[in-house]
Amino acid sequence: MYKLIEFIRRIYVVLIFITIEAIALNHYAQSSYYTQAKILSRAHSIAGGVQSSIFGVKHYFTLRGENEALSQRVAELEQALAYYRGRDVDAATDSLTLDNIDPAMIESLSQYRYTTARIIANSISRSRNFITINRGLMHGVMEDMAVISPSGMMIGYVVGCSERYSVVLPMLNIDFRTSGKIAGDEHFGSIYWSGKSPYKVEMTDLSKHADIEIGDEVVATGLSHFFPEGIKIGYVESYAINDTQTSYNVTVRLAADMTKLNNVILIENVDYGEITDLESNPQREN
Amino acid sequence: MQKNLIYAGAFITLVLLQVFLIDNISLSVYFHPLIYVAFIILLPLDTKPIWMVGLSALLGLTIDVMTGMGGLNVIATTATGFLRSFVVKMVTGHALGTDASDSSLHRIPEKNFRWYIIAMVVLHSLIYFTMESLSLLHIFHTLLRLVVSDIAAILFIYYFVKLFIEKILTR
Repeated sequence: MYKLIEFIRRIYVVLIFITIEAIALNHYAQSSYYTQAKILSRAHSIAGGVQSSIFGVKHYFTLRGENEALSQRVAELEQALAYYRGRDVDAATDSLTLDNIDPAMIESLSQYRYTTARIIANSISRSRNFITINRGLMHGVMEDMAVISPSGMMIGYVVGCSERYSVVLPMLNIDFRTSGKIAGDEHFGSIYWSGKSPYKVEMTDLSKHADIEIGDEVVATGLSHFFPEGIKIGYVESYAINDTQTSYNVTVRLAADMTKLNNVILIENVDYGEITDLESNPQREN
Repeated sequence: MQKNLIYAGAFITLVLLQVFLIDNISLSVYFHPLIYVAFIILLPLDTKPIWMVGLSALLGLTIDVMTGMGGLNVIATTATGFLRSFVVKMVTGHALGTDASDSSLHRIPEKNFRWYIIAMVVLHSLIYFTMESLSLLHIFHTLLRLVVSDIAAILFIYYFVKLFIEKILTR
């Protein structure tokens, strides 16, 4: 017994070291992007205030250009929104016109809701990058909202919210997945980031029957439920048929410059909850 | 007591620099210097092993909590702190000064001192970047990140540690 205690006394530092490493490894292994984002959103509740001030100064010098871009984008969106509202209302009501319908009902018929936010922290140097924005639960931001640039390019989607801040999983994160297609073609592929360049993503499993040319526009399919169909992802930089000769592997140059982001637009798919509930409960009573 | 406060100040300074300055410099995916390891480098040579492991884990934990890295920094810093005594022995051999009562890093000759910093930075970032990528698929990409980031980190840490032990600690 004495020898055992003596032995433990001699190696207790090694035991403590192994214990700490084991706990840290276990924690790291279990930290999916989701848990990371949860920790991030809490940490940024504290750190966010400081970072907000730092970015505030930097942001001031680029306000003019951003305002112009935002205003232009808002005008385009208003125009598109008016078109969709009109179309949806026409479809839902045979004899009614826009003038005698409750505006709340018109709002409920529109599938997407838009809001804006400012980026207060953004990294591109890690394999798992995140963006922190200055809008949270109290501003109506929720998880799974799509995030696009003021000029309508895909950025990522919200994965965690605190009261005043939210964390976005951008395309520059190796856990990011969405589907994309060549504009004007219905074949779709899987979009992910290889972690190599902040200007490029990869698209795999694009059918070999897809009509593809270098320079073609790559857009969202709408299959992911996060992003409205047609949101621009980037342009085909190169492509090659895969080893099994079944599909294309495409390198896509991103339309958005992820290294120079300041403002973003958040898009909520108001039907998202209903769709995911339906998909998670496929068995329905007859 | 005063020395402990100086080390606490270095701890806080390095953590704040890493989280609010270095992590916000978005030059390239290959540029991610990990400068906070300077705290482990500049701890006195006679620091007890249990304190080395404990302080290194605390350093990693602080960075993890502030950046949401889920344990990655604890893994890298604790291993670096635990292995520091081996690194010191490896880079100094028998060149370490004989005055055992002097615990400062001055005992390491200048040439060996540079190798000491290089070895510690590379050891730490090797663990960090390997654990971060968790794949051999992008080994060259990881190596390039390591080289670019470490050159920047070594330059910064060399001057930071020099400033610390020559100007601040000896005052």
